[in-house]
Amino acid sequence: MTVLTVIIIALVIIGLWFIAIYNKLIRMIEAVNNNKKQIDVQLDRRYKVYESLIEVVKKYMDYERTTLKEVVALRSKAQQAAASGNEKERMEAEDAISKIGAGLNLVFERYPDLKADKNALQLQEEIVNTENKLTFSKQAYNDSIEKYEATRKSFFESMVVSLFSGKLLKEFIYWGITEEQRAQQEQYKVKM
Amino acid sequence: MNSLSAYSASVADWRKQLRINERRTKIVIGLFILIYSAVGMLIDLYLHSGPVYTQVGLINVPLSETFTNLITFKIIPWATLIMGGVAAVSIFITFSLHDKLMLLGTEYHEVTANSARSLEEQQLYNVVEEMKTAAGLRYMPRVFIIEANYMNAFASGYSEKSALVAITRGLMQKLNRSELQAVMAHELNHIRHHDIKLTLMASVLSNLMLMAIDMLFYGVVFGGGRRRDNRLVAVIVILRFLLPLLTVILLLYLSRTREYMADAGAVELTRDNTPLANALLKIRGDHEQHKETYGEEYLTTPHEDVRRAAYIFDPIQAGIEPIKSLTNLFSTHPSIQDRLKALGFTLRS
Repeated sequence: MTVLTVIIIALVIIGLWFIAIYNKLIRMIEAVNNNKKQIDVQLDRRYKVYESLIEVVKKYMDYERTTLKEVVALRSKAQQAAASGNEKERMEAEDAISKIGAGLNLVFERYPDLKADKNALQLQEEIVNTENKLTFSKQAYNDSIEKYEATRKSFFESMVVSLFSGKLLKEFIYWGITEEQRAQQEQYKVKM
Repeated sequence: MNSLSAYSASVADWRKQLRINERRTKIVIGLFILIYSAVGMLIDLYLHSGPVYTQVGLINVPLSETFTNLITFKIIPWATLIMGGVAAVSIFITFSLHDKLMLLGTEYHEVTANSARSLEEQQLYNVVEEMKTAAGLRYMPRVFIIEANYMNAFASGYSEKSALVAITRGLMQKLNRSELQAVMAHELNHIRHHDIKLTLMASVLSNLMLMAIDMLFYGVVFGGGRRRDNRLVAVIVILRFLLPLLTVILLLYLSRTREYMADAGAVELTRDNTPLANALLKIRGDHEQHKETYGEEYLTTPHEDVRRAAYIFDPIQAGIEPIKSLTNLFSTHPSIQDRLKALGFTLRS
């Protein structure tokens, strides 16, 4: 009688243990799947961020370039008028410049972050952030594969995996670059 | 001393560091639970020791027999069970109150993706988001800036969902992007490894068992009544003076272990040990340089003791005492030298 109870208890413990291992591996597989999707999410984000960045900057840069030309033209006009003594024309040109200045200020109000060289810094930060997130999501993906592979190949776990190989045995491929790319990147030198 | 050039660099084996400290934690937590139950058992033994009235008259049950009876539940060990219940309730209450406690007394504001006031704040938020991606956390922790000049940071939250990281303005301004990233990685690891839960649990358990042993001690001293076993009384008196020391040592050991783990985890997330090493040296150097002013600032900020163990750098290591207390003799953090060594940087002699 007691032997039977001991056997039953042992079987129950082993059963619970198998279930725990099974669940752990399923969790790991799903983590890998999610992390892979996270790379897509970050790629998508990068596309959107860059699109909007280019739009904003293009507008701003174009505006600046044309306004700069305008300002230079008006300035020389005003100088010429001053030299020839034509006060009316000179004042008109100066007024036009102040108007441009006010317009420029308005643009700055609307885009406070675009003020002066901050513009470039902001852009730089956004690009670094976007690229980092993409890289880190790839790293997280590889890390989760490492955890899964290490667990499924270790002793005891591998026994459970061989019992339920349909559900627990997945072939994940580490994120990496192709051989050609690697060779290319290794040869890379900064050209100035 | 405060520059990495004084150290010889090698690769940090973060996998090994994580493994070692994970094992240490298990041992410490196991010890805590064991000691806690032992104190409960001691109370039960005390209550059931001495002569007992039975049908055959007054008999003296030996201690070992009472112990076996308690362990096998022939006598229900009520004290141990009640102490277990009290621990569960206290831990639950502490968890639910804790988040609100951590920022107490500081001047702070939250940073979100849209509310960043400057490029620096935007960068801070971005860096936390990047580390969250690398750690594969499901929720973005809330980010707070504390208006203080000293360089420090901490993480809090009993679950991923309610987690927060806080950083002083001084730290944000004096570190470059990659150093800031390493520090935030360290903080996110405290969240990821459930360190807040662990240390809170341990400190609640140690407080409760100190209270229990105190009550038992005064019961023995002033209780009188039935004659007790002398050996039992001796054990209670010794524990009354030994246990406080033991719990302090265990708590400090646990805290240091978790710091090593967070450091190793930061290397795991950033795959680079230099930024964290640089940041740690910068923080220590800065504390030493502004010892007077920072000491003043730490002292005038209320409830600094709540945050002390959670900070990335324990100000005591720079000779600053944020609170007046006996535990200042020991630091909750390993020395910067030891932390750098674990990161792969050994001081050249």
